[in-house]
Amino acid sequence: MSSLKRITKELNDLGRDPPTSCSAGPVGDDIYHWQASIMGPPDSPYAGGVFFLSIHFPTDYPFKPPKISFTTKIYHPNINANGNICLDILKDQWSPALTISKVLLSICSLLTDANPDDPLVPEIAHIYKTDRPKYEATAKEWTKKYAV
Amino acid sequence: MKKDPIDATGTNGSRSFNRDIAEIPLANSDHTIPKNNNALRNNSNQSNLSTLSGKSSNNPFRIKLELQQPTPFTPDNLAEEQEEPDSDFEIDEDELFSDDDDIFINNLDQSFNDLNISTSLNDNKIINEGGVPNLKYDCLTTNELYDRMLLRVEKIKPILDISKDDIILLMQRYNWNEEKLLESWADQREHIIEDVGLSSNNDGTNKFKNNNPFRDNSLQSRENYLCPICYEEKDCTTFKLECNHEFCTDCYQRYIKNKLSDGNIITCMSCSLALKNNDIDIIMGNNDSSNILMNSSIKSFIQKNNKAFKWCPYTDCQCIIHFKDTLYLSEFKRLHCSPFVTCKNSHKFCFSCGFESHSPADCDITNAWVKKTRNESDYLNWVLSNTKECPKCNVNIEKNGGCNHMKCSSCKYEFCWICDGPWAPHGTSYYECTQYKNEKDKDKDSNSSNDDKKLKKFTFYYRIFNEHEMSAKLDWKLGQTVSQNVYQLQEKLGLSWIEGQFLTDSLKVLNEGRTALKWSFAVAYYSDQSHNLTKIFMDNQALLSHAVESLSEMLTEKNPKILMEKKNEFFNKTGYVENRKHALLECGRDLLCKGICKPK
Repeated sequence: MSSLKRITKELNDLGRDPPTSCSAGPVGDDIYHWQASIMGPPDSPYAGGVFFLSIHFPTDYPFKPPKISFTTKIYHPNINANGNICLDILKDQWSPALTISKVLLSICSLLTDANPDDPLVPEIAHIYKTDRPKYEATAKEWTKKYAV
Repeated sequence: MKKDPIDATGTNGSRSFNRDIAEIPLANSDHTIPKNNNALRNNSNQSNLSTLSGKSSNNPFRIKLELQQPTPFTPDNLAEEQEEPDSDFEIDEDELFSDDDDIFINNLDQSFNDLNISTSLNDNKIINEGGVPNLKYDCLTTNELYDRMLLRVEKIKPILDISKDDIILLMQRYNWNEEKLLESWADQREHIIEDVGLSSNNDGTNKFKNNNPFRDNSLQSRENYLCPICYEEKDCTTFKLECNHEFCTDCYQRYIKNKLSDGNIITCMSCSLALKNNDIDIIMGNNDSSNILMNSSIKSFIQKNNKAFKWCPYTDCQCIIHFKDTLYLSEFKRLHCSPFVTCKNSHKFCFSCGFESHSPADCDITNAWVKKTRNESDYLNWVLSNTKECPKCNVNIEKNGGCNHMKCSSCKYEFCWICDGPWAPHGTSYYECTQYKNEKDKDKDSNSSNDDKKLKKFTFYYRIFNEHEMSAKLDWKLGQTVSQNVYQLQEKLGLSWIEGQFLTDSLKVLNEGRTALKWSFAVAYYSDQSHNLTKIFMDNQALLSHAVESLSEMLTEKNPKILMEKKNEFFNKTGYVENRKHALLECGRDLLCKGICKPK
């Protein structure tokens, strides 16, 4: 199966040349189910936190996008209470040429630069747009509470 | 075979009608009726009403005909004609959706009409459509629609001055709306080219300017190639666009296969450079794939333009109806008429609401009726069982033919399926079991509450509505017998196919009559029962009902010889049913236009 080879290859690449601030690997024996972690970017209210994500590869990976969600609670306009992420490259903008490492980096940059105009949680997006200090304070609080 | 006395009236009716037609040859010669007939209508309705009620409902056509004569062309008329909305845009849609097809469809209609025996059928059509705008529509398949799109592409090709495949990409992006495309093309050409993926600035490549037909983005054979998608090192063929992102064809094929049904532009897996139809076919190794993509694109085009385009709602029918003058749709609504369209597979449906042909009811009545029946049908299920007890011997009888003239097989009692009464009075005098007997009920249930009465009234109409629906289904079975009969006529009597067609025609008329009758009960339910016009309407229902039943009975005949002997009778009966149907439809529309019938 081509998906197995590709996923194995991605795993090897991650081990050989790990991206800064991210890590990922399979949970147990199942190579189609990974766990990943992201360090909160230093220039964001998530700094100091470590966020865990679960990754499920579909069998027709890389032609279909992987299913990625946060398992650590996070206060963010584009990530909801269930950890679902609203990110175009995980939906219709997915391309087979993308890799897990690239996707994790995209999620990192989503943490730094939220996209409040296309929110998953409108309440947070509203606060983000109208009362930035309050948003940052709450995000910091959540990070301390759940991700440290 | 016994002959009903009413049959005789039937033939008389159609004969006198034919005579009326002959008086006004104009009505037949001109097929396009000027729009300003609408204005005339209101007046005509008034006088119509008085004459109608004065003359009872004997022959309402005559008056109609005189009033609906096409107005002679005066300079005023001509001016109005010229004011017809004509697109300012240089590419006229009518021109693009070529008129050839129109002519083709008209010709089809014409040849079909020629087959119809009595000329009165033809004329009736015009009477019926007199006050309302002519329906202008096409029936297409996605492939035909795509072919038309290609015609449009050819038309704008000289303006854009780029290759056909490039324009198809642009059209896909702009939902096949060339006006919008040309507008933006004039304003922000460079931006569009990049947006659509004809060029990609990121890679410093410019596919767009590379118009060389012998581009190098074709398949290449590689040895030990490591594809960055599947990470398999193998001897394989690869493909790359001008951006030089190279992948094995296996991966490309899987990638494209996943995207074909979206109908969106497919890009290189690594960047935003678009794959043209030609590229897709090269990769997939066949011509079908780009066709599938184009089909999906056309489908999404139809979904987005659902005002002018509609899918035929019948199961598995692939036809698309393109309505040409969507502005007229509101006019139809105003006149309580419905734009019924027929697809190539002869499925007739209402373009506005997607229901089957529901005249004389308009879309509002239909909607109200359907909602009401859905709400209350559970309660009424017991009424609708397929079996009924014989009113005399109580044997359970299943109705397996379309005719309502029942003969109990055990006690030989003849009765009417709808009213359970003996059949004898139906045949000889006045067929009136279609009417809800308000008075009778008053006597019977003088104590019952108002609600109860309402429900009883609804039950009555709902039951009849369903009886006719069931009958229509059984008529469908009858249709199979009829086609067998036609076959037998050819086999046993050595007749030509065309000579047997009167049976098929009769069946078609029977079906239409049955449908009109069925929906007329929805109209009757919502009508003011005390109004004189409602009474006339109900009389008309009864007449049509009788005509339909006797035609249905005639069609059950299996002996080919008797069928041929009855050919003339079939002609007369079919013409009569057709005439009664039109009378009923006109009458129903009158009720709607005058506000006597409204959905509550």
